[in-house]
Amino acid sequence: MVTVTAALVAIGLVTLRYLAAADPTGVAQAQSSLPAHSVPSASRGAVVVELCDGVTHTEVKGLKPGQQMTRAQALAVTGQLMAEWRRKHPDRHWVLAQNDQASPSASSPENPARGNIAGPGETANTKSQQGDTYASFHERDFKVWQAQTDAFVNYGNQVFHSAKLLGSTIGVSCDMCHPNAANTHPETYPKYQEQLQRVALLRDMIDWCIENPIKGKTLDPNDPKMRALEAYILAQRKGVALDYGKH
Amino acid sequence: MSGKSLALGLLIVAAFGVAGYGIGRATMPAPKPDALAEPKSVDQVGFPEQLYKWSIPPDNPQSAAKVALGKELFFDPRLSVDNTVACANCHDPDKGFTDQLPTAMGVHAKFGHRNAPTVLNSMFNIEQFWDGRAPTLEDQAEQPILNPIEMGMPDEQTVVAKLSKIPEYQKGFQEAFGSAPTYRNLVEALAAYERTQNAFDSPFDRFMAGDANALTAQQKRGWAIFNGQGRCMSCHGWNPTRPLFTDDRFHNIGVSAHSAQFVPHARQALALLAKGGGSQQIDRLAIATDLSELGRFLVTKQPHDIGAFRTMGLRNLYVTEPYFHDGSQATIWDTLDHYNKGGVQNPYLDGGIVPLGLSEEQEDDLAAFLLSLTNQRYMAEAEKEYRNQFRISRTTRPQRDTAAAMGLKGRNGPGFSGPFGDIGPGQSAMIENPASLGGY
Repeated sequence: MVTVTAALVAIGLVTLRYLAAADPTGVAQAQSSLPAHSVPSASRGAVVVELCDGVTHTEVKGLKPGQQMTRAQALAVTGQLMAEWRRKHPDRHWVLAQNDQASPSASSPENPARGNIAGPGETANTKSQQGDTYASFHERDFKVWQAQTDAFVNYGNQVFHSAKLLGSTIGVSCDMCHPNAANTHPETYPKYQEQLQRVALLRDMIDWCIENPIKGKTLDPNDPKMRALEAYILAQRKGVALDYGKH
Repeated sequence: MSGKSLALGLLIVAAFGVAGYGIGRATMPAPKPDALAEPKSVDQVGFPEQLYKWSIPPDNPQSAAKVALGKELFFDPRLSVDNTVACANCHDPDKGFTDQLPTAMGVHAKFGHRNAPTVLNSMFNIEQFWDGRAPTLEDQAEQPILNPIEMGMPDEQTVVAKLSKIPEYQKGFQEAFGSAPTYRNLVEALAAYERTQNAFDSPFDRFMAGDANALTAQQKRGWAIFNGQGRCMSCHGWNPTRPLFTDDRFHNIGVSAHSAQFVPHARQALALLAKGGGSQQIDRLAIATDLSELGRFLVTKQPHDIGAFRTMGLRNLYVTEPYFHDGSQATIWDTLDHYNKGGVQNPYLDGGIVPLGLSEEQEDDLAAFLLSLTNQRYMAEAEKEYRNQFRISRTTRPQRDTAAAMGLKGRNGPGFSGPFGDIGPGQSAMIENPASLGGY
């Protein structure tokens, strides 16, 4: 934790160095001290898992600190927590979704997940590189962009579904509460999050969930896993209008 | 004259002729194919499988017979007018498929104006030559054979007639194409062979495949600078789909500006090209005249392409020295100094070329990082050259201009230096080097 805070402070300082004059409100400075998502202590030396609301929690009997749950156990625990949350919030909109895959494989080059990038011929001269140096594209450029973007999103898909890649100490992964990234509403950020008592970006909430219920270490914003998670979550909402601040 | 003395006379003339050439020419004999000339495996670490499929033209699929024939042709000096220059003279497998000369030498010891680019990984270039005047390796191969100061053959018919008289080629073309030699089949076979010369499998590729120890600490620092303060990745970017360290584009980075006759040369070129502008004419202007310095402009006739040349990939650099389109820079440190000071000013300088503010240590880190892009089969040779260039760079730095590099002089003046000017923030400011995580 000390290291993470130190890193955040340092990143804050780096940011400040370049924002000095442009940050009279201290927004950049505030980023240096995001609250951690900590949980009540366990009565029997077991592990307490808490939802992202910062309230709903349960103590996993028989699970000692440092022990991993199986995926089935972890699904049972997260399922129980989510059921409890929905019981407490019957009026809140919640999309019921199911994982469409148990564990995603590495990206398949021949079978990209999505086609988000404009195809050849749609926007640019693709025959040869005549025209401005930076505004002319070859047909193969589009293929490279598509393949790389799909690979990035697919890596995020893997991280999202993998307790191991997320660094969970108890075997929980994102998909257990958010099948196919449902109910992550990335289009509503930035928005005020009560748990944090401040305006959050999507990555802040990812980190919040990584601390609990996943019980891992927060990720550096430049960590490839954080970037890939954001990419995957956003990719699932292709076509949805941006609507910042929405609750 | 008796038959015997006639034969003796011819022998003397022949011997004299050969000896005369030997004295008058600096040309080495055409290289013989060795182990490094063998087709390379597609199973190398870091090999771009998708890009490989996209980069083989549908009308010239690979076949073993074509590759074998292409290899014979590649090393055969009979493709030149006086049987002295093979493709391999300028693209020698032992020299990373270059000649390690500033500019290429053709028949009659004539030198062109351009540095011979490597064949290694050239199949992935979207366009060929320093100015992209040929779209494919097939089209590329057509030109040097007929260029008067490269291989010097007068025309396609002469080449085909010459090959058709050679029994092993009658057989080879039959096996590869089911026909007698044609000029198109000739270049298709050469291209098929060149598409087997791919060199990945470097320490960097192993690092990206997950071996955290494949790079030294210095090389990891270099990789961070490469992606940060050095701005290298803007044109020499790497990604798993296209791991070639090139953007396949053409930029004026200020190398031609050493001569600075751009505008009169551009007018002269336009006047000449107005009379024809065929590919052979452009080829000859590019190789044999001072208009060579106009680069991509000869092909597109667009002003923004004046002095622009292809972004070369950065793999295997320590076996393909010297550097830049005119081979004007002897060491990697010279090229780094060139970029660090923001290139050489000229009206067509690419907007991305700005002073970088790199320290000596940072340049050393980048130079060490570039060594990690060497294919393992060339590594021993490359390490030797790296040490050689390192030694030279301690004393000889013709391109170094520290004041310009640090933004203390030049077009922006001292008021624009530092973090609010051209010089970007350094990755070195990061707490943890992202290179330790692999990508960015």
